[in-house]
Formats: sequence, C-alpha cells, structure tokens
Amino acid sequence: MPDEHEPEQELELTSPLVPLFVITNGRALPPDHQYEHTALVMAAEGASAMAGALSPEARQVLDLITEGFLSVAEVAGHTHLPVGIVRILLAQLEEDSLILVRRPVPRAERVDRELVSAVLEGLKNRFGA
Amino acid sequence: MIRDALVWCLVAVAAIAVVAVVALAARNRALGAKKQQSEGELRHQLHISDQQLQLARAELMRFTTDLDRTLQEAKEAAEENTKAVLKGAASFLQSLAAEQTTLLDDVQRKYGNHAVLSDLLEVNHANAQMARKAQGIAVMCGAPLGRRKRAASVYDVVRSAQGQIRNFHRVSIMQQTGLALKASAVAPVALAVAELLDNAASFSQHDAPIEITFQRVQNNLCIVIDDAGVSMNDEDRQRATELLSGNIVPRLSQLGNQPKFGFPVIGLIARQYGFRVDVTGVSRYGGVRAVVLLPEELWTVEETPPAYEAPVSNILRTEGRPQNGSRTTHGLPKRGARQAPIASVPDPESTPPAPRSAEEPSRFSGRSLGAFQRGTLSGRNLDATSLEGSEDA
Repeated sequence: MPDEHEPEQELELTSPLVPLFVITNGRALPPDHQYEHTALVMAAEGASAMAGALSPEARQVLDLITEGFLSVAEVAGHTHLPVGIVRILLAQLEEDSLILVRRPVPRAERVDRELVSAVLEGLKNRFGA
Repeated sequence: MIRDALVWCLVAVAAIAVVAVVALAARNRALGAKKQQSEGELRHQLHISDQQLQLARAELMRFTTDLDRTLQEAKEAAEENTKAVLKGAASFLQSLAAEQTTLLDDVQRKYGNHAVLSDLLEVNHANAQMARKAQGIAVMCGAPLGRRKRAASVYDVVRSAQGQIRNFHRVSIMQQTGLALKASAVAPVALAVAELLDNAASFSQHDAPIEITFQRVQNNLCIVIDDAGVSMNDEDRQRATELLSGNIVPRLSQLGNQPKFGFPVIGLIARQYGFRVDVTGVSRYGGVRAVVLLPEELWTVEETPPAYEAPVSNILRTEGRPQNGSRTTHGLPKRGARQAPIASVPDPESTPPAPRSAEEPSRFSGRSLGAFQRGTLSGRNLDATSLEGSEDA
C-alpha cells in the first residue's frame, strides 16, 4: 500500500490543527453581560507564577494583560481568537483568580415612558393640574 | 454261504466307497482350481478398481485445490472491489469533512461573539469525530491520509487528537514540551493517538480520567496514554500487538457488524509512516498503557513558532505596572492620577521604539495616550470584521 500512496493526490488539511472547542475544553460561553467588549481585564498580582498548567492560549491571554488593563476586544484582536473563545478563557482565568476584571459602567437605563405618563396622569387626576 | 455273501457285500461297499472317495477328490480338485481362478480374477478387478479410485481421488484433490484457489481469488477480488468502492466513497467523505471543518472554523470566527458560538463548537466536535471515522475507513481501503503543511508541537498534535473523540474533556495532557512533530507526521500521529484515546475512552468508565504524558527515551519520543479502564488478557494483548504491527491486515468483511477499525488503522499508518504503537503496558490506574513511539526522523527539538505572531514578547515594558502600594484593601488596583492603566501594545508596522525610562514626566501622559491609541488600533484593525463577528450580536 505505501507504493500506491505516492501517485494519488493527497488531501491537504487547511483547518487549524487544534479546534476551538478543545482550546476552551468544552466550557460553556459565559452569560452575555460578562466580559463585554469594553470590559477591562488585567492579570492579578503574581498570576504568572501561580498559573500552573494553563493551555498555551490561556497563557498567552494572561501574558498579554500582565502589564496593565486591556479590553476584552483588544485581547481577542491580539490573540487572533474569536471574542467568545477569549471570554470563555477569561471566565476560566477569573475562576482561578488569576485576573482582575473591571466591568464597563452600565449605561443608564431609559425610564419607561408609559409608566411615567401613567404617573403624570394619576397626579393630574389626584391634584387636578 | 452266508459268509461269502457277506464278503461280497463288503467288497462291494469298499469298491463303492473307493469310487466315491475318488469322485469326491476329483471334484474337490476341480473346485480348488475354480476358486483359484475366480480369486485371481477378483484380485485383478480389485487392482483395477483401486487404480480407478486413486485416479478419482487425485482428480478430486485437483478440483478441491482449484475450487479453493478460485474461492480465494473471488474473495480477494470481492475485497478489492469493496475496497475500491469504499475507498472512493470514504475519500469523498474525508475531503468533505475536512472542507466542513475549515468552513466551520470560519463560521466560528465570524460569529465569535454570538451566542450561536457554543452550538457551533458542538457541531465542530461532532464533525471532528466524523472526520476521524472517514479517515479510518479511507486508510483501511488504502486511500492516503490527509496531509498537513506545517510542523506542530506534539502538544498541539495530541490536542488535535483529543478533539476527535466523544468525551474529550476526560483527557488531560499532563505536560507541555518544546518538541515538535514534522509536518508529514502531524496528521498520521494525530489519527493514531485519536484512535488510541477512543479505545481508552470506550473501555473505561465514562468519567474515568485519561492521562497523556510525554517521554524522551534515547532517540525516541514517546506519547504515553494511561487509562483507568479494564486491562486486556493475554489473548487480547497478542491480537492487539499483531494488528498494531501492521503485519496482519484483516479483511473488511472480518471487521464485524460494528467494525473495529481502531487497531488495524493504527497498524497500517504506523507501518506506512514509520512509528510504533504498543498497548501491552499496564497504566498506573491498572488499565491499559498505550505508547506511541516516534523515532527521531519524525520530530525535532525546536519549538515551532505559533501560527500567528503573538505580540506577547514585544509588549513594551516601559510603563511599569502598578506597585503593591497602589492596591486597595480588596486587592483591586487603585486608579492612580497618572498611572498607566492600559497595557501598551506596539504598532506592528513600525519598529518598536527604544524603551524609554519613566523619567520624562513632561511627555508621560502623551506617551501613554499614544500607546493607548496604538494598542486599540492594532487590537481592532486586525481583521476586526472577521474576528469579532457582527456588532449586533
């Protein structure tokens, strides 16, 4: 069989060697409000020393943010990993208390217009504007 | 008178007796001659029959041999035909699965920040298992294995194999090495390790650990797979060793209704690519210890560079991280007046400027702002659309 092996056209495998689901080790995506694009992350003090058996990708993320805060989107940009994968890695790192996360200031929520007008209506009725 | 009469009588009786004896003797002689004659005839006939029997037996023998040969030929032809048909189909499946893996990877990157990503990861997992089966059937039918262009670290090759089995999170790789497999060995070793992992997972409890370690023994690199399953008996061991050596290749029809491709496939590719696999060891958990023994032609000591340029080592270390004093009691960094809050990432286009000391107070804030800008730019410019998916995710 090795003799037949040469003339035939071999299939070229172009996909990345390590699939993304192995990089995340099958971990689920964290909920949407965690590790948003603009959330800032930084390695905790002495994290590199504490990090024992991290996957190369998690180690890369940790190394990136050793120097200071970096946004989740930037981490994804530098590691060339999809944001979702970076978020899963960050969730794992935070669980091992290897990183600090500074969540973005939540946007002030719009007041429900209908509720406000209902209150206004009530006030008007009560006090007769 | 009476006496005479008696004498005559006696004489007559004697004469009769003599005549009778003579007659009997003559008859006896005639009978003996006849017997001898017929015996001779019979013997002759027996001899002829014997010869005929011999001839018939020889002919039968010839027919039987002919039949056996024809049967063997027919079986081989059937095997070859089945292989040829299956080979085409399996190669097709194999390339389709490979194409789908590439596509899925693109889609995963496109919808990288979408909730659909977790489903895509599962689909990719299922696809990876299918690709392994297709590869296995293709190899059994004599089709070539897929090929990878780049060398890869043995750690990544094993992770690739890990992704090809169902319960992959049971597998833990205990160490990382600086050793890399040559490009030609990446795909076959990944498939062999995947089959061994699948075997380890099938013959152990569904939550039992499977551990992988690497060892350098003389000029060989060993990938050691320990499972906590049931160990094999001597007969199984012998059979496994025969199959893994690639010396015995079972027919497709011998694989059974739930075909066990694993060991025959490993045996074929191990022989083809020049490595050895042994499963006769006992793991530290009392299960099977499988060892993939890679001779030095298949690996190198140099660490392969990652597929992408990681900016990690290029990060300028000018800004200095907040010191212990700038932490709150809860361990959070204090937002100092002009601390450097952002990791600075160099502009990939320009050469990194020489590290400047932090003794230029007048330009400090300007520099950190510039670094911030560069960092965000390089962070977002790199294929921002394809990497981060749609913004409305």
